[in-house]
Amino acid sequence: MAVFLTLVVGGTGILEMFYYIPTPEQAALSVQTITYLVPFGSVVRSLHYWSAQALLFVVGVHLLRVMFTGASSTPRRFNHLLGLALLVGSVLLDFTGYVLRWDQGIQWALVVGANLLKAIPLVGDSLHIMGTGGANLGATTLIRFYSWHTFGLTLPFVVLSVWHIFRVRRDGGIAVPPPALRTDHERISRRELVRRELLAALLCATVLLLLAAACPAPIAAPIVDMRELTLDARAPWFFLWVQELLRWGDPFVFGVLLPLGLLGLLSAIPYVLDGPAPAELGRWFPASGRGAQILTGVVALAVAALTVMALVRAP
Amino acid sequence: MAYSRLTLASAVLLASSVAVVAAELRKPRPVELVPSLSRQPEYCLTCHVGLPEISAAHPEQTFGCVICHGGERLALDEHLAHSSMRGGANPSDFSVVEQSCGGSQCHSGSQADQRDHIQRAMTSVQSTYAGAIASILYTFAAQPDLTARYGIAAISDEVVNTASGVAALEAFDATGFASPSIVKFGRNCTTCHIGATPADGGTYARFTGCAACHSPLGAGAPAEGNRETHVLTTAIPYAQCNTCHNRGNYDLRTMAFVPRSDHPVDRVHDYYQPIAQFVRCEYALDCIDCHTRVEAMGDGDIHSSKKEIQYIQCKTCHGTRTDLPPAMTVTDTNDISLRLAQLNPVVELSTGDRVLVTEQGEPLWNTRLLADGSYELVGKATGERFKFRPVRGSGCTQNPEEQASQYCHECHAVER
Repeated sequence: MAVFLTLVVGGTGILEMFYYIPTPEQAALSVQTITYLVPFGSVVRSLHYWSAQALLFVVGVHLLRVMFTGASSTPRRFNHLLGLALLVGSVLLDFTGYVLRWDQGIQWALVVGANLLKAIPLVGDSLHIMGTGGANLGATTLIRFYSWHTFGLTLPFVVLSVWHIFRVRRDGGIAVPPPALRTDHERISRRELVRRELLAALLCATVLLLLAAACPAPIAAPIVDMRELTLDARAPWFFLWVQELLRWGDPFVFGVLLPLGLLGLLSAIPYVLDGPAPAELGRWFPASGRGAQILTGVVALAVAALTVMALVRAP
Repeated sequence: MAYSRLTLASAVLLASSVAVVAAELRKPRPVELVPSLSRQPEYCLTCHVGLPEISAAHPEQTFGCVICHGGERLALDEHLAHSSMRGGANPSDFSVVEQSCGGSQCHSGSQADQRDHIQRAMTSVQSTYAGAIASILYTFAAQPDLTARYGIAAISDEVVNTASGVAALEAFDATGFASPSIVKFGRNCTTCHIGATPADGGTYARFTGCAACHSPLGAGAPAEGNRETHVLTTAIPYAQCNTCHNRGNYDLRTMAFVPRSDHPVDRVHDYYQPIAQFVRCEYALDCIDCHTRVEAMGDGDIHSSKKEIQYIQCKTCHGTRTDLPPAMTVTDTNDISLRLAQLNPVVELSTGDRVLVTEQGEPLWNTRLLADGSYELVGKATGERFKFRPVRGSGCTQNPEEQASQYCHECHAVER
């Protein structure tokens, strides 16, 4: 599913590149051109949007499945790290793509994101300049986000994706108990596997297409003045939990350290905690790997709860 | 089983694709307009099909829509397209008029280049309401004289050209005064200046800003997006002036507006309130046939009273028993009279024609001297022709020094 979504997001992204103009004056107008004037432009853009959101969702669910079935433990620990890197990549790709709209809907998130970088001690200013290209958010910022989105993040994402899939095979396929301990020896045929995957892809494509047609990707009026923040000050949905954390106190601690800490925690789990017993590999919630499950569950619930809190808060 | 599920899923995807493609194809085809001034394509006409051109002076092919209205020129979604429009449906509202109608190529500039329309309108008594405010403050002892100190909005004038001109006005905030009458005045009596949203009711219905006068609504209230209101004209009928004027009176005791109570059915009764005395030309003509541009839109100075700006008298057209009314021959091809006649082509004016001219030098471009020594005036709003004679040579014995309308009314007033 994630591979299919990556292909859709990549294909529609390439189509958008033919019309998108990464300058502050033209960016939002070119998005309007794609949305309203290019034949099927609205569908392509909405497909790009929805497949990107779906990808993030699917990757998150995949992470939970991996953690709750003990699949991240040895020998798949390294692939777990690759997977987490892909999750971070998806988030960054989604955020950079969101900023490329360069309209009033993204203004607030861009300013907060840029200021968060600045809040990091010692290297913050350098990171801010690397990310935004200078003190004022403008042409240098946009071209950086464009380059990261279409190249700087996409290329590593593709390489890591291939590596991730390759490692699945190298690590002995998906996590199941070793042959001697298996109770269920039945395996589905290759043909059946292709059939199932094709079916998933078809259903996914249908849902995406209908979503794209019924709920077009968001759009707003072009930015008039970067210093005037007028519209809804909500972060994109995948950063709502960070936005909620930011209300708690110091931006560096709550906006940078804590999210990075959670990521570190998820990475460290298979290295620190024991994995499930071989016989229970691939089973949901195996009794022998409770620690990892509880930690992951707490992180997931916390992120979900923070997101809900941010959602119900009046804008 | 697996095959049939795959087939079914494929069929559903195919059907969805067909539906999406059909929906896309059913969307209206974008209608492009590339105005020669901006040279940037805009797609407003995709939805606004058949909207009448706003005026001959603002052709659609030259101006397009966005240069005046703002908005998102490429967006075909109603909400987004309209989101950045200036002044909603009315870009001439004074809050945005400089961006919409102004600019050195259009209606903003200096007196010398005759593009100071916005500056004049915004400093005029119709906009500042300074005369009424000063008069009320003086009446209720909040200021020692009738010189204006406050306007509806704060405004200043860098170059004061007339003796009675005021350099600056502060924004009037009635709540800062002790007198309850002044507070009431602020609450009840500030809807008539042209920057204000008018009071409710069809008889008061007008836009704000330039459009308050130049987009006459005709009969009935303006509807949002009403095609008949997409008009800019200098042919302003008296009914448009009467959305503010002649609608009733302020009661100084209660500080409330008392609407006129009569129900006029014809022009002669509709024009003025029953209390007024007037002569035939005062109702047969429209207000703008006598009152000049400077009187209506101001002279660029901030004044304390309309009396400082109103100067047209009966003698402007009729002269006195000793003098003929002043006249001028149009010589310059760029003369203001020719330009005004081109904007509102009720007369065919050309160089060599002789027209009346006011004592301040404003040509009455809709008048003409006839061969028999009489004059003709063409109604700017009606196109109707009126022939009239000078006082000189008639039996009139009026003292040339006493020319206010009340003196003429003594003999020439009509009864209603």
